[in-house]
Amino acid sequence: MNLEKTDFNKQQVLYPSCLDLLSLPTRAEDEVVDPKKYLEESCKPKCVKPLLEYQACVKRIQSDDSGHKHCTGQYFDYWHCIDKCVAPKLFAKLK
Amino acid sequence: CVIVELPFSLVPLFTSSSFPRSSPSPISSLHFPRVDLVHKASNQMVGGGVIQQILRRKLHSQSVATPVLSWFSSKKAHVDADSSGVRAFALLGAGVTGLLSFSTVASADEAEHGLACPDYPWPHDGILSSYDHASIRRGHQVYQQVCASCHSMSLISYRDLVGVAYTEEEAKAMAAEVEVVDGPNDEGEMFTRPGKLSDRLPQPYANESAARFANGGAYPPDLSLITKARHNGQNYVFALLTGYRDPPAGISIREGLHYNPYFPGGAIAMPKMLNDEAVEYEDGVPATEAQMGKDVVSFLSWAAEPEMEERKLMGFKWIFLLSLALLQAAYYRRLKWSVLKSRKLVLDVVN
Repeated sequence: MNLEKTDFNKQQVLYPSCLDLLSLPTRAEDEVVDPKKYLEESCKPKCVKPLLEYQACVKRIQSDDSGHKHCTGQYFDYWHCIDKCVAPKLFAKLK
Repeated sequence: CVIVELPFSLVPLFTSSSFPRSSPSPISSLHFPRVDLVHKASNQMVGGGVIQQILRRKLHSQSVATPVLSWFSSKKAHVDADSSGVRAFALLGAGVTGLLSFSTVASADEAEHGLACPDYPWPHDGILSSYDHASIRRGHQVYQQVCASCHSMSLISYRDLVGVAYTEEEAKAMAAEVEVVDGPNDEGEMFTRPGKLSDRLPQPYANESAARFANGGAYPPDLSLITKARHNGQNYVFALLTGYRDPPAGISIREGLHYNPYFPGGAIAMPKMLNDEAVEYEDGVPATEAQMGKDVVSFLSWAAEPEMEERKLMGFKWIFLLSLALLQAAYYRRLKWSVLKSRKLVLDVVN
């Protein structure tokens, strides 16, 4: 199934073939899918490395009590990767 | 004794007089003018600066730096004080104290500038591309229903919308829906009347203080020029409006503020305003968050740069014509100069 041609104006239930996309919930008949959220989910496989870095950071600072440690760097790296992946594709899905 | 160039030097300019000097140097050397220092310091400080950069990255906290610095200052005292050497170290010291003061700020750099926004392929980006006027119309609807309760657009009048997003009748009807203060009348009193095309878009608050008071001290900026008033404005505003997310681990935002990675500092007073189907578009386009974001940014881009289409047409035309003129001028210049350039000069050497 070619996801790029999916028309969000018609409500369709999507079953992506890639395993990572199985986490996407199916839509009810009258719900509208936000294309940006959808693309961010579908770009997750491309950005696994920064995501794992972020999760490793979260685990590292879990034990910290000083309140000074945070994972902004890894968070930014992950979302920068997602943004770079989503940006060229998003407007094709909008009117 | 040879002076070794130490990576750290702590001697600020004004304490150079406290140095024990073995060689006599005139008192005037201490009071060199500031301008002179700046020029001479540049070369020496660049080399020192690079080393300081590397060392700053290795030193995470101030507490590590201080014992290192005090060790260097004691080492410094044993160095033989040649007057030019003293000057070199004094200049290095000025650079170091400046750079080290930034070390605590460097760790907060990312959130401070905000996450860099990506570049979206706006339909009006091309050299001869116009605005998507249907998008501007929808964007104005979003502004009116979602944003106008807090943000003013005091530089736009209803008449500006005519021919861009609405017909004259539609714009007149829209203007007539608002009450405008006018006056004074013949009796000297101010009165209210329905709006006209010549009126500006209504302001939600009477003044900035009222706006701040109603929004927890934060001022919702006027949006008339916002896409020009922010770096990479169109992409930034779109990313900001659609970028509300949970904060990263370890970051907590105080009550009253919201996390947005694109906002410098991360904590923005505005809550997430674009939610799916918050607006029902007249033309039936599904109002998803991304769609509303695109439309409202198209509207704001037009509001900041209404002349864009005419400017692009003019630019294309005149750049083309001036290139032709350049070719003509180049040919004419070479034609006229060919006489001189094809001269032959004979040198008659007399031995």
